[in-house]
Amino acid sequence: MWMLDFIPDAYLHLAIITIICTGGGLYLLGLLMNFWPPAYPYREPVRITATVLVVAGIYFLGGYGVDMEWRAKAEQLQAKIDQASAQSESANAKIQTKIITQTKIIHDKQIVVRKEIQTVEKQIDAECKLDPAVPKILNDAAKNPMANPIGTVSVGVAK
Amino acid sequence: MKKLLLICILITLAGCASNKSLPGVMAFPNVPDNLMVPCPDLTTVDESTTKLSDVLTTVSKNYETYYDCKVQVDNWIEWYNTHKSIVDSVK
Repeated sequence: MWMLDFIPDAYLHLAIITIICTGGGLYLLGLLMNFWPPAYPYREPVRITATVLVVAGIYFLGGYGVDMEWRAKAEQLQAKIDQASAQSESANAKIQTKIITQTKIIHDKQIVVRKEIQTVEKQIDAECKLDPAVPKILNDAAKNPMANPIGTVSVGVAK
Repeated sequence: MKKLLLICILITLAGCASNKSLPGVMAFPNVPDNLMVPCPDLTTVDESTTKLSDVLTTVSKNYETYYDCKVQVDNWIEWYNTHKSIVDSVK
């Protein structure tokens, strides 16, 4: 059946109509043979052939109609998919731009915060001396618990 | 005759092998590259430091990391919701 894809639709339709018309023509011929005695022996084969052609032609015509309907639906669906793909690309571009903008805002804010820290660095370091347990606790909190799920925080506070 | 039969079989089999794409199948939507970046681990502070400013710097870096990840997660949610409605509209 895949070979039928190579035949243009119009030719296929024409071939089916030709089969039906040939069948119809042969049937009429079979009827006319009733009026001409020498053709009597050929009446039945002609009628049988005509019936086979008409039945086959109608079968093909139905199949062709269903196929055309299916193709039309497939085209509609493909158009929807193309539209959805375009929408998807557009949404992705928007999200990408949004991420870049938001990330820039975050980084810019951090630059300001670090500058603030640098400004008051000497002052806060002079007024506050950290216990050695502080960085350890902070690091334990910062470490990924999934990397070492059974790890526990164990720090000794210096006295 | 055998050769002719073999050619006929081969042509028929080639029909089975022909890759006719099914219409109506939407490909999985692409994901923006910057959403596919995994969140980094948090920065740790030098354990020998006694300076509060070092701790403060590390904490602020980690806040930055958190907000970077928040942006990614929020946008993943948006990506999912947007594309779900797009894909649903095709059905």
